[in-house]
Amino acid sequence: MSGGVALQALVVGLSVGAIYGLVGLAFSLLWSLTRVLAFANGDIVIGSVLFAVLAVIGTTPVALSPDVLRSLGLVVLALLFGIALSLASYVVAVRPFLGRTHRAEDLMGWVAGGVTAGLVIRTALGVALPAAAYAVPDPLHFDGLTSTGVVSLPGGGTVGVRVFPVLLVAVAVVIAADRFLVLSRVGRGIRSVADDPDAATLCGVAIERTLLIAFAIAGLLAATAGLLYAPSGAVGVDQGVLLGLYGAAAALLGRLGSPRDALIGGVVLGVLQQLTQASQHLGAAWASLLPLAVLVVVLAVRPSGLLAPREAFAE
Amino acid sequence: MTTLATDLYLLVAAYGLAIAVSYAGLPVLGQGAFVAVGAFGTTQLASHSVPLGIAVIAAIATAAVTGYLVGFAAARLAGAQLALATWALAWLAYTALVVFPRLSGGAQGLTRATPAHLVSPSLGLDITLQPWVHVVIAAVVDVGLAAMLWRSAATAWGLDLAALRSGPALADSLGVPVQRRRRAVLAAAAALGAAGGAGTAVLLGVVAPADYSPLLSLQLFVAVLVGGTATWWGPAIGVALLAALPSTSDALASAIDVDPLRARAVLTAVLLVAAIATRGPVARLIRRFGLTSVNTDVLIDDGNLRRGSSTPGELLLQLRGVVSSYGAVRVLDGLDLDLRAGEVHALIGPNGSGKSTALRVAAGVVRADSGDVLIQSHAAPGRLGAADRVQAGVVRTLQRTASLGELATGTQVAVGVRVRERSPQVGLRELLRTPAARRIAAARSSVVADAVQLVGLAGRTSVPMTALDSAEQRLLQLARAVATGAPALLVDEPAAGMSAGQRRRLGDVLRALADSGRGVLLVEHDLRLVGRVADRVTVLAEGRVLATGSPDEVRRDESVRRAYLGDSSL
Repeated sequence: MSGGVALQALVVGLSVGAIYGLVGLAFSLLWSLTRVLAFANGDIVIGSVLFAVLAVIGTTPVALSPDVLRSLGLVVLALLFGIALSLASYVVAVRPFLGRTHRAEDLMGWVAGGVTAGLVIRTALGVALPAAAYAVPDPLHFDGLTSTGVVSLPGGGTVGVRVFPVLLVAVAVVIAADRFLVLSRVGRGIRSVADDPDAATLCGVAIERTLLIAFAIAGLLAATAGLLYAPSGAVGVDQGVLLGLYGAAAALLGRLGSPRDALIGGVVLGVLQQLTQASQHLGAAWASLLPLAVLVVVLAVRPSGLLAPREAFAE
Repeated sequence: MTTLATDLYLLVAAYGLAIAVSYAGLPVLGQGAFVAVGAFGTTQLASHSVPLGIAVIAAIATAAVTGYLVGFAAARLAGAQLALATWALAWLAYTALVVFPRLSGGAQGLTRATPAHLVSPSLGLDITLQPWVHVVIAAVVDVGLAAMLWRSAATAWGLDLAALRSGPALADSLGVPVQRRRRAVLAAAAALGAAGGAGTAVLLGVVAPADYSPLLSLQLFVAVLVGGTATWWGPAIGVALLAALPSTSDALASAIDVDPLRARAVLTAVLLVAAIATRGPVARLIRRFGLTSVNTDVLIDDGNLRRGSSTPGELLLQLRGVVSSYGAVRVLDGLDLDLRAGEVHALIGPNGSGKSTALRVAAGVVRADSGDVLIQSHAAPGRLGAADRVQAGVVRTLQRTASLGELATGTQVAVGVRVRERSPQVGLRELLRTPAARRIAAARSSVVADAVQLVGLAGRTSVPMTALDSAEQRLLQLARAVATGAPALLVDEPAAGMSAGQRRRLGDVLRALADSGRGVLLVEHDLRLVGRVADRVTVLAEGRVLATGSPDEVRRDESVRRAYLGDSSL
């Protein structure tokens, strides 16, 4: 692999990885709050954007730049759909299976519920958008930053100019989410419920409302990830699940529950994937298997995350 | 005929998954991957001129080994992570099939001639596998599996599965080798999945990646959930619903004029949602009509109160200079402790003095940094995990009111007996109802009866645990531990939350256990109870022994009184 190719893979990997990190952050947040693994997370990422596209542009989306009004509509609707889908998944697939302490209780129930919720979103989208993949227009107009839409890198490689703003926005959103959780009153409530739901209740935190807010935030994060991800290439309805699993892998590369670790894990995963794709011996086939293999291996070795401390004893 | 055979093969895979999901409580979302291993493995091997029979067996063996390896990881995973790992596995397998056309034959898939011939010159065998032959083969396997699950309810295997499902931590403390059992269950599930896949591949003569997408894993998962927990007929209902799906959706599609494939996808989603939504009510119905094998009661003989086999005064357990730390905190700092047959030895001390850790080290749940643990004067098994220790003769009750959920009281006690049944074929023998198995089952019943009688729960064996009051649930814990036959009982705060009357009853039981030749190491905060039942009291402070002796001696010990008991008297 030449230096130019490697640099190109690195830059693209950072940008894609930051999106994986965003997806992983939503996954991680919901795990710490409810001990439920958000199986529908990835479908919400893709679903929020594609539903917005359906509403604003219709069933034949084209990659041409939408006008200002439609761009605004796409962004706002995608965020709203993200919130709505996330809340709906909570009400339908999570809340019925939580125990007295608002922690996951009926394991088979929420596992089946989460995976089925994802399938319902995919099926609903598939009815309206039957083709294998669609080119989704970019409401944020990142490609317009340069006249050609691409940037030359030292060493001869080129990347789409959108990778830079995507990386910036993703990192900024993760930092903002982290600061929100640490500094704001609502964020403190969320962290207290994550730590100990019983104690949080005793301190006057309304658990039900906190969970709803947290799921809404997870939906916002998912929709943001979708808005950054979808316009970068052709997007299929089925890509959501894979994106969700990549996010889970990102979250598990650090300590499950930590926003910063989810971002770093995502970036590591994205760079590894792009380097695999760019290498002559491995290529795209192995690159598509890599994150899934990482997820399986990490779960086998350290179920609470690669950097999580070993538990003293399990009882 | 072909459709029927396909559905029956799917049922084989569903029964395999049911063993893992609805019997052992392991959420496996990747059964489709194992079905694919069977289907593509068989077709690939057969196309490389491997004889068909050997190809099928090799593909099934490959899947079983994969399942066993997944089990190595799964043994340590909480249920949630196992679900995620197997879901990722389902997508990994599917993605691999899609991106490696050499493996899968691409979108068109791999084909071979049908009907297949099963030829073995050495056996003089030449069978043409017509669809009806497939129907017979698949039906025989299905009926065999259903019968096995039906019969397993009251057998050793049924007990182990019930214990895995309802309380793995407790099962481990009673000496059930939880990790080994999980590996076996996942290997069996994977092998049956592959068998279903191999059968379908030989029947249809074509395998394409699209038929083995993660949707298959999801469909199978929900199919085994439909019929409720641990029912032998559940998977059949689920697969019947799945089998009705294509024809129903085609009818629907032609009626309202939509694309049949889309109609099928929508109907699948609707079916899955309905299956999950009706899960609770269905489970209640199954319980109400007793259709489940869960509440099996163990037959109770009129056993005699068995005396512990140890000679009075024999050393059952010794801790010598045990040091144990959590991180930088040294919880046990050179602890010496022993337990003799026939005594109640109470371990007291302030919170954080190391009482519970001492029990955990003795029970093999926590490793000692240094020092020795001797069981009946032999070195304790080095491996971590309670199962070996229980076999060696030390058993611990858990601090909180751990339970095996929905199992009847007698059945819960019977789980404790399992550790004594060393013979690995007990489960198989019981399925076949051999005379030896009947003797084993009878012995099990009599041990259960003894244990229940010792703790004063006779007459309560057939009620579900939820019908016991909190004190009786603690006594049940003791009965389960007694049933393992380990003479050294480690009992952690049994009286927490009990009324005065209940404490008296508990004290009598502890005394009776010691008098029957067992040794009871009791961690307890209630000093009145300790004073009444203990032969010896050891006071711990900061991981060391502060004082030891009879309750009276300890009561008079000035340092104990001053430092740890204030001015109140024992």
